[in-house]
Amino acid sequence: MLLTTVARQGLCSSRLQFGVLYRHAVPMGTTAKEEMNKFWTKNTRLNRPVSPHVSIYKWSVPMMMSISHRGTGVALSSGISAFALAALVLPESYPYYLDLIHSMSFGPQFLAFSKFALAFPVAYHTFNGIRHLIWDLGKGFRIPEVYRSGYIVIALTVVTSIGLAAM
Amino acid sequence: MAALVRISSVCHRGVSPLLFRSSSLIRPLAVQKKDRDCPYSISAKIHATPSNYAGSGSKAASLHWTGERILSIVLLGLAPVAYYYPGPAVDYTLAAALTLHGHWGLGQVLTDYVHGDFKIKMANAGLFLLSTVTFAGLCYFNYHDVGICKAVALLWSK
Repeated sequence: MLLTTVARQGLCSSRLQFGVLYRHAVPMGTTAKEEMNKFWTKNTRLNRPVSPHVSIYKWSVPMMMSISHRGTGVALSSGISAFALAALVLPESYPYYLDLIHSMSFGPQFLAFSKFALAFPVAYHTFNGIRHLIWDLGKGFRIPEVYRSGYIVIALTVVTSIGLAAM
Repeated sequence: MAALVRISSVCHRGVSPLLFRSSSLIRPLAVQKKDRDCPYSISAKIHATPSNYAGSGSKAASLHWTGERILSIVLLGLAPVAYYYPGPAVDYTLAAALTLHGHWGLGQVLTDYVHGDFKIKMANAGLFLLSTVTFAGLCYFNYHDVGICKAVALLWSK
């Protein structure tokens, strides 16, 4: 009780004193980016080996889902860029090439499978993206919650992809 | 007592106690004790940017982050709109939103894995070129061909 009273008195005058202490501090002259660059140039120059990380750490579902989110994102982006490039380069129109593919008479299973293969990364990236946005709101960080939301994303992805492939 | 220990521990670890600036743990007596224990100046170890510090950094990174989230939500909303109201307006909006979302996403990938001033510059230049070509291609497709919404519909109709 005596300690609390003394501490409270200390608080009132500590602000002024601490302000003095802080005035001796100088702001850092470098940004985080500059510091990271310094780290990398120094360590690559010294040819230092990187500690094993992904090769030794036990893989978990959240880890795999995280890199899959990145993987599907890169794949989808590359697909869109490839499509855009094709649109600029190829001479004929889209319906022409679509009919060309259909005239090659692949079985209905192949068409359904390719629809599934297209829908799956879109669905996964979308649902996991929502999961990320929920984290950005600050919710769902407890480990059981991370796993639960992860399994929900996987389930929704499979169901949605099958549903879209059936359309 | 506990507060004194906390301040003196700074001398050994250099961790900024400035986070506790407004906490009741800091006491004026602690300052004198620190001076006795640590003859060197503590200023070199302090690295903090309190919000009342005048213009010592820009908000660019923070605003970029917020922009990324807003764009993601816009893209999310575009999906049902594209399904129920296909047309040129949605086609061009989709082209812009998809390209920018991909551009920013790939930008984050590059930031994570590419190091070194020159390599970073080159990688970002390449990405910018890719995104420009992508957007141009999608707009070309929207203008001269069937458009994104119709393309998906045709693809799925067979």
